[in-house]
Amino acid sequence: MEQRERKPRGDHGKSNRSLLRRTIFLMAVMGVLVFVPLVVQLVRLQIVEYDSWKQRAANQQTQSVAIPANRGTIYDSQGRALAMSATVYQLILSPKDVTALVNKDSKDFKDAEGNFNQAAYDAAVQAKRAVIVDWLVSNLGMDEENLWKRIENTKSAYEKLATELEEEQAEQVRQFVKEQHLSNSLYLVDSSKRYYPFSSVASHLLGYMSENKDSGGKKVGAMGIEAIYEDALSGELGRQVYSKNGAGQEMMSGYEMYFDAENGYDLTLTIDERIQSLLEQALAEGVETYDVQAGAFAVAIDPQTGAVLGMASSPEFDPNSYASIVDQDLLNELAEIAEQYGADSEEYGEAVSAARNQQWRNKALADTYEPGSTFKPLTVAMALEQGIISLDDHYYCGGSYTVAGRSISCSKRTGHGDQTLTEAVGNSCNVAMMQIAEKIGASTFYDYLENYGLKDSTGIDLAGEGTSLFWSRNDFTGPYGAQSLAVASFGQTFKVTPIQMITAFASVINGGHLLEPYVVQSIRDDEGSTVYYHETTEVRQTISESVSETIRGILEYVVTDAGGKNAYQAGYRIAGKTGTSEKIELKATDPDNDDVICSFMGYAPADDPKVLVLLAYDTPKRSSPHSNYTPNGTYISGGNLAAPMAGKLIAGILDYMGVEKEYTAEELSGADVSVRNVTGIDVATAMSRLKGQGLAWRTVGSGAKVTRQVPSSGVSIPGGSTVVLYLGDEAPPEQVEAPDLFGLSPTEAKTKLEDAGLFLRPSGAASLTDPSVRAISQSIAAGTAVAPGTVIDVQFANDVDDYDVENNNGTEGIQAPTE
Amino acid sequence: MAIRRKARRDLTAEQQLAKGPMDLIFLALVLLLTAIGLIMLLSSSFAIAMYDSYAGIHTGGNPYYYLIHQGGFAVAGLVIMYVISRMDYQYFRLLSVPALIGSIVLLLLVFTPLGRSSNGARRWLWLGFTFQPSEIAKVAIIMFFAARLSKRNDELRAPPKKWSRRTLTGRIGALLDRIGFLELVPYGAIMLIVLFLLYKEPHMSAMILIIVAAGSVLLVSGVSLGWFAAAGAAVGGGLWFIITQTSYMTKRINVWLDPTSDLQHGGYQPWQARIAIGSGGLLGKGLGNSIQKYRFLPEMQNDCIFAIVCEELGLIGACVIIALFMLLIIRGYWLAIHARDRFGTLLIVGIITLLAAQTFFNIGVVTGVIPTTGISLPFFSYGGTALVIQLAEMGIVLSVSRQITAPKVE
Repeated sequence: MEQRERKPRGDHGKSNRSLLRRTIFLMAVMGVLVFVPLVVQLVRLQIVEYDSWKQRAANQQTQSVAIPANRGTIYDSQGRALAMSATVYQLILSPKDVTALVNKDSKDFKDAEGNFNQAAYDAAVQAKRAVIVDWLVSNLGMDEENLWKRIENTKSAYEKLATELEEEQAEQVRQFVKEQHLSNSLYLVDSSKRYYPFSSVASHLLGYMSENKDSGGKKVGAMGIEAIYEDALSGELGRQVYSKNGAGQEMMSGYEMYFDAENGYDLTLTIDERIQSLLEQALAEGVETYDVQAGAFAVAIDPQTGAVLGMASSPEFDPNSYASIVDQDLLNELAEIAEQYGADSEEYGEAVSAARNQQWRNKALADTYEPGSTFKPLTVAMALEQGIISLDDHYYCGGSYTVAGRSISCSKRTGHGDQTLTEAVGNSCNVAMMQIAEKIGASTFYDYLENYGLKDSTGIDLAGEGTSLFWSRNDFTGPYGAQSLAVASFGQTFKVTPIQMITAFASVINGGHLLEPYVVQSIRDDEGSTVYYHETTEVRQTISESVSETIRGILEYVVTDAGGKNAYQAGYRIAGKTGTSEKIELKATDPDNDDVICSFMGYAPADDPKVLVLLAYDTPKRSSPHSNYTPNGTYISGGNLAAPMAGKLIAGILDYMGVEKEYTAEELSGADVSVRNVTGIDVATAMSRLKGQGLAWRTVGSGAKVTRQVPSSGVSIPGGSTVVLYLGDEAPPEQVEAPDLFGLSPTEAKTKLEDAGLFLRPSGAASLTDPSVRAISQSIAAGTAVAPGTVIDVQFANDVDDYDVENNNGTEGIQAPTE
Repeated sequence: MAIRRKARRDLTAEQQLAKGPMDLIFLALVLLLTAIGLIMLLSSSFAIAMYDSYAGIHTGGNPYYYLIHQGGFAVAGLVIMYVISRMDYQYFRLLSVPALIGSIVLLLLVFTPLGRSSNGARRWLWLGFTFQPSEIAKVAIIMFFAARLSKRNDELRAPPKKWSRRTLTGRIGALLDRIGFLELVPYGAIMLIVLFLLYKEPHMSAMILIIVAAGSVLLVSGVSLGWFAAAGAAVGGGLWFIITQTSYMTKRINVWLDPTSDLQHGGYQPWQARIAIGSGGLLGKGLGNSIQKYRFLPEMQNDCIFAIVCEELGLIGACVIIALFMLLIIRGYWLAIHARDRFGTLLIVGIITLLAAQTFFNIGVVTGVIPTTGISLPFFSYGGTALVIQLAEMGIVLSVSRQITAPKVE
């Protein structure tokens, strides 16, 4: 009994101690220890990793919407908008969020036991989609099948349904989205559309907008000014950040921040839309008239400042739809290929992309060409500046000149004979140039090539300027360089860009100032304050003012009395130089190749140049292989093709610029007069009145008094024209037919017109009495019915003998440029 | 004074004891946690109540819906807590048997048409109101185990049963008796029945909690540590097997280690919880300023409420609340140590261990310390009957605390 009692008692005490120990153990474990890892974890999440969790929270709790900046407008020098933006909208569908519109947790999709009813849920989602698709199909005319395909792609959160919705449609969309509570599933994103109001005018300068792989679905400037001034034009995107809830809805009371968009800057160009249009018309007319095969280019600059007034290239394109081919010749070529290979053939695809590249190419900037005779004034200027020749020098041309054992012929095989320096330039004599270059020496000549900036880029603010091609100095000045020097003197075998050539030429006529050409005159910010203004930048002095003056005199002579006379326009004092240049790279592979570029480099007024124009047609069609004439019978040379077009172009530009006409006494006799009223008075008085105005007359019918006159009073007709006086009952016919004047001399044309009761206003050739002058175009086409007394403008030209290197015997085999 | 003394003397000893003062520290901690829990419930449920976006509960857009409901249960629970605390806990010895039988019946009823299921688990019973019988089973098992184990010493003191040494069964029986196995058989049988029923629901988290709570009662009652080591080894081995050999658990573990591996399904909630906690930082976004509660974080009013606490109140607020829980738990064990008798001690140990385990598991899951199991946070998570039962359990603890002042009886 005692033992029994003792044992449990001992047990009892032990049991109580163990109860205490074990409870304290539990207290330590459950009351303290287990919470240690929890607090450690909280410290880790909330302190150590705080930044990354905060970032993750911000990423999902906020929505950021880009606020587009308005792209700047591009204005021409007169404030006409050449490129402008308008707000349009992109329509974005998020199929993922469409699905989320139907709340999966909603009681509607649970059965009595809370199990998920998939079928009911799917049906609800499908119904929601149908509402959206139906609306889009009926209101925006979208393709139903395509829409269904896209809306059922639930993994996608971004389907661009439309890119350029106008405001009106956008408003409809907003209404629909509001009614249906679609905020995140269907939404509009501001976007902008670029408009080019003048279509293809200045297309190569302006460039166009397109998406590229780095632009992130946004259109950016792809070429021209749009590309190079992309940063200035595009501005800075703004951003709106707001908080959203887990269902993606914006929270009313949430965090919100707004970063203003900074609108793009407006550009004002030196380009004048009117001058640009005149350049493009001249290109189009020349390409049409001479059936030009390889395009054409024209540049007009202000030779005093370097401002580019216009720069055109043919074929051209419309930046509003930059991928479509607009040039008729290219379209014809493509049609042929389509017929031959089929419109879905690989060949056709390649041809289309080649045609695009061709129409996008800014030939005046990116291409290089051999300037040919237009370079001669630069050679002469070098020699004058060096003081090794003078105006009094005489040069003898026997038809060819032998350099380093090789005979290089002149344009006129029979030779120009004895000629002064001025005449040598007027004759475009290669022999004289070779002689002058020999005097200058290869090293100095090369110095001047560099001096004229022909070996550097001009610094024009356009992207894609081509690189000129020259010999190395060592080759040029070395023992085998003599022939290179000889042909370089008349602008062959080296290649420069048109913009380099016109810049160098400007320095020769403007007093020796080599200027940096530019197209952007000023940049203004959104508030209208000017942030950039281009000051005329002079690169260096190339020649002296006095040499420049001498050159100007020579070049005026070229137009009034020599090879450039087809550019003559009465009253405008045009000066310049023609050029007909071969293509050395084509001749290298095919010695028979006779492709030429016919160009004219001219300016006006001759003593105070306001505009300098370079106009060139690349490869006019020959009437038959190796013929010297175009299909319409024009002798192929710069003087015959480019000069008349350039003369008319320069006259048009001066008229537009409002430059006062200056007439010589001789010209004055042909200047327009306003016919006085002679109707109702006696014949003798009428005659004396007309005589006083410098007009001639003839009478029709008999009687003492003039009953009608053609033209009626107040009409301007050229001086010396014959006024028709009707006497008695005689009356002029209601309408007469314009006669065909092509190929007639000025006298013949005048007679033929006046016989029909029409008047002639001649233009073009400097001297209308030159027997070789022939009409090349008329302002009113032959056969058109016109009222009697109408004045018809007729362009005259004479065949000038200015072919630089006739029949390809001058340059082949001569060391080719290597740089 | 004399009158009062006389009046007291008229009562039985037990009655006198039961009228002792409650432990005010424990009471204060309970009230504080209940109040903070209600405030945080309002803050975290505000958004879903407004959007009416939680399945199965229709708030009609009233942002205070959850608060009003929970508040009603809290008041009822506090009243019940007080009433229970006034009871002499010795009655729970008698009550424990019917409670255990009743709770097993209720668990069985879950499988009748009265049961309600949600998300594929049949855990609820509808008897005019909906509740989880497992909540009652937890208390019943603790009460029953405490009541029976408190008499363990008396049983050990009783003469040992005579085993026949001649038969094999007799010899085995003697062996099992000696190592204390036989004594555990009834507890094991009850556990197996209840766990089996919970397994059929299935209700993993309730199983864990019952094992922990019942285990704590067995531990403190003096059962040989060897059995716990054996049970621990068995559970550990089983877990290892389940985790590595079943694809379901493997996936669950992977999601726990890296929620981003499966954000579409299991990983979303833990990931969002961590974003909520991490973005709270040291000081939090301020009460009511959680953004994650705006339909990012699922179950924000239930199992994930602590994530919102961390987001709004920061590390400091979260630590204060954890500290309150720790104080409550420590004070609970202190009361257990000082309880008048073994029954009181074991009762409190079971209840407090249950509370501590629940708190640890909930916060552990939300912060990502342990893999996901659906355990709610006491006093905080939404759920009326659960709150009432928790407060009733606190009432039991308070009831035991009333008799502490009396001298201990062996």
